[in-house]
Amino acid sequence: MARKSTRRNGGNEGLNITSMMDIMTIILIFLLKSYSTEDISVTPSADLVVPISSAEKAPKLAVQVVVSKSQILVDGVAVMSLGTATDPVSGAEVPSIPADEKQGQMIQKLYEKLLTKAETAKTQAQRTQREDLEFKGEILLQCDSTLPFSLIREVMYTAGQAQFSNFRFVVIKGGG
Amino acid sequence: MAIKKKRAADSQELDLIPIMNMVTILIPFLLMASSFVNLAVIDSTLPAIGAPTEAQDEPDTPPLNLKVLVTSEGFTIATDVAVLPSAGSDGPTVPCRQSGCPGIESYDFEALTTLLSTIKDEYSHEENVILVPESHIRYDIIIMTMDATREDATQKEQYTDPNGVSSMRDKELFPYVVIAGGGQ
Repeated sequence: MARKSTRRNGGNEGLNITSMMDIMTIILIFLLKSYSTEDISVTPSADLVVPISSAEKAPKLAVQVVVSKSQILVDGVAVMSLGTATDPVSGAEVPSIPADEKQGQMIQKLYEKLLTKAETAKTQAQRTQREDLEFKGEILLQCDSTLPFSLIREVMYTAGQAQFSNFRFVVIKGGG
Repeated sequence: MAIKKKRAADSQELDLIPIMNMVTILIPFLLMASSFVNLAVIDSTLPAIGAPTEAQDEPDTPPLNLKVLVTSEGFTIATDVAVLPSAGSDGPTVPCRQSGCPGIESYDFEALTTLLSTIKDEYSHEENVILVPESHIRYDIIIMTMDATREDATQKEQYTDPNGVSSMRDKELFPYVVIAGGGQ
């Protein structure tokens, strides 16, 4: 007995890493399972809390419009920042489009940006002659859950004017 | 020579260190690429802008044009010809649990789903619903209303997918939602 233990301790064995390997393997498999190759991603922040829904439909790649509490982004590029207005019913401060940025319901800066996107997509589809690149007017809308409908209606109207009429509201799967 | 032999006999275990190195590199990479938030989308189309398409043959039954008005009092269900009255008062069809709808919890989504489920039984071919929210209605309430009008989780129905496999799923109500401009 004594001989065995001395031999173990004195042997040139180094760390026993077998158990650590076990942990690593489990973590590796777990991460491989949750590995996502989704086309779109949401970067949650205090300004952008996407609502939860029971919808099941998987998102497809399209032009992304993000409407957070403070600004509007198109494909990750900030287009304009939002001001605030007083809600006539609750009296609370809600985000809104500054009056000088819009004509009627049309948000001018967003319209110009989206029109460029639509033209680019159409040219691309024409040149490549690929059916999967055909312009279908699809647009992914990521909106903060506290935004009032008036703001979303203006964004939808502007997108509609820029030939984007198939809306996809991005939501977090769950609930329901 | 003799020493070498002894060493070989001692270290019979696998040399796992290179694998460890690889795994340690893989884990941060996968951690970055993995997503713990599952996303989904809700489709909605804008009522077509531009020249109207050629008039189609009049269908035997006119479309229902089911509308759900979302107001700060509750939900009002209406069609082209009639507004569905409330059970008790002359307010909205599905009034809020508390008057004035102070928060998202006060909207009675379950009652809306039950009511729409009854309508779906009557008009089983209808698949469209038009949402008409008021200007100040919050986005998450609109999304939850879409959820409530899309399917009824309390009832199941037989469903055959395009591959011919049939299974049970939540009863489908009005999956195609159109958002209309709505009142001020």
